[in-house]
Amino acid sequence: MTLLSDTRYIFIRYLTKLVRTPILLFFSLFQPILFLVLFTQLLSRLSSFPGILPAGVSYLEFAAAGIVMQNAFGSALQSGNSIVADIDSGFLQKMLVTPLSRPAILLGRLSSDAFRVVIQTAIILVLAYALGAHVTTGVIGILLIFFTLAFFGLAWSGISLALGMKTRSSETVFAIGGVITFPLLFLSPALFPISFLPTWVKDVSMFNPVSYCVTATRALMINGYIWSTILPAWGVIGLVAVVTLSATLYQFRKVVS
Amino acid sequence: MSDIVTVKNLVEVYSDGTKAVDDISFSVQEGEFFGFLGPNGAGKSTTIKILTTLLRKTSGTVTVAGYDVEKQAADIRKIICVQSQETTVDGDLTGRENITLQGHFHQMKGDEIKKRVNELLGLVGLEEAADRRGRNYSGGMKKRLDLATALVHKPKILFLDEPTTGLDPQSRAAIWSYLEKLNKEEGITIFLTTQYLEEADKLCKRLSIIDSGKIVASGSPIELKRQIGADSIRISLENCQKDSPNAKELIKTMTGVTEIIDSEECLTVYAKNAGLLIADIVRALDSSDIRIASVTFSSPSLDDVFMKHTGRRIRTEELVKAPSAMYGGRFGGRR
Repeated sequence: MTLLSDTRYIFIRYLTKLVRTPILLFFSLFQPILFLVLFTQLLSRLSSFPGILPAGVSYLEFAAAGIVMQNAFGSALQSGNSIVADIDSGFLQKMLVTPLSRPAILLGRLSSDAFRVVIQTAIILVLAYALGAHVTTGVIGILLIFFTLAFFGLAWSGISLALGMKTRSSETVFAIGGVITFPLLFLSPALFPISFLPTWVKDVSMFNPVSYCVTATRALMINGYIWSTILPAWGVIGLVAVVTLSATLYQFRKVVS
Repeated sequence: MSDIVTVKNLVEVYSDGTKAVDDISFSVQEGEFFGFLGPNGAGKSTTIKILTTLLRKTSGTVTVAGYDVEKQAADIRKIICVQSQETTVDGDLTGRENITLQGHFHQMKGDEIKKRVNELLGLVGLEEAADRRGRNYSGGMKKRLDLATALVHKPKILFLDEPTTGLDPQSRAAIWSYLEKLNKEEGITIFLTTQYLEEADKLCKRLSIIDSGKIVASGSPIELKRQIGADSIRISLENCQKDSPNAKELIKTMTGVTEIIDSEECLTVYAKNAGLLIADIVRALDSSDIRIASVTFSSPSLDDVFMKHTGRRIRTEELVKAPSAMYGGRFGGRR
């Protein structure tokens, strides 16, 4: 199957590029790790006020789900820069004059994004574990967390890729990424318990896809297999993915033709 | 020989209404070194993009190796390669990896790729730098690597969009010699666009001059220059004032001479086939005891051809002089 093998070559290319620019990896991990190590310390006394955090859960354990989420966001939103770079350098055109399967160009990019989210999530989870935050659902739970975040990462890569192809400017992709990330995180229970949030934020967070994803991840980390939370989250991510990846496909068609 | 590229009444109108290519027709024969010469914005890159399946034409018929450029794009992509204006080397990958990746894009087998990669690294003289990352290459090395990546699948046709723009003269000469070798030894048809007169003159067996989306002249560089008519022979004499009337009389009667004027040097003779006339002129003046200081001969350049058809000169950042030959001043000194 040429689609599969072509996707693999593109996937390997992007991973090689990533591994050889460790500075990029460092910067995308820097912020989540800063949050994990410092931010959780700032709020560590939150657990001594009853009724805010679930009983017996430290703030670190609570926030870990939000932090891996933030990480998935951050790396997914960089995805568009790669396509801008390939358009600018002419590399995309170089691929397009070969018999290389067209969908493989996108699939290879997206799968490398998803893989990157998984690796970075693993690094953060190991660090969280060292600091005392355990995933109660164990290995299968961790795999499900990987799946949820990778899926989420794919859905958001779509936005970044579509923007990249539309604007052809990595500055714009970068700026818009920054503008989207934090409001969506703050207007969700990513870093604070839902009961702690003001009513209007609670209301807004109901419409924020990030809320569903973070709640599901958190469930897997501290509560267990609560399918009534996990399945809707996958549904929401799926919806987002359909929208963003359609936009990506639309823009890609325009670039390719 | 058969035509490998045929273009009939090709038109490309961009969405903003710009007519980038305005009803051009031409063909390229198999094994030929063919070129498009024209200034920036003439429509050269647009034409290449259409020929290489990257851009949809507005109207006209285009076939490459017998395949229709739109209906059979996939077949065309298997046998062509393109070197675009930008050097497209992935700086994070090594030279070897860059070529290998391109081999994978062409669905080549692992062993086949390995062998070919070594061959190509040798061809472009990058064996030693093969395992260094692309970003550490010099501009000329990147261009050579880019060329190697384009050749990995042994294409039948090589499309080059301004392959030497921005290169230093040495790197340019190196690229030229690879291209000539590929064309001669491997029989690859080459379609090249350039804004450099010297490049078109040196490499192309046949070329079309393109300006504002239209082909204004086609032919071999020699044919095109011959259409301009006269070459010029500039003669300076040791004693110009005394000898020039006699010299004029002697030269006037020679076949091919169209005009003689007094010029800075002394005399300028316009003639067809000036190369052949020089000996006659020297001999005639010599036997009449007219001493020659120097004789300079110059042929019309492709720039003159461009000038004739468009009324303008091609301006590039580096103006290439018309080829000229200098015959030293010792001709008249013997006897």
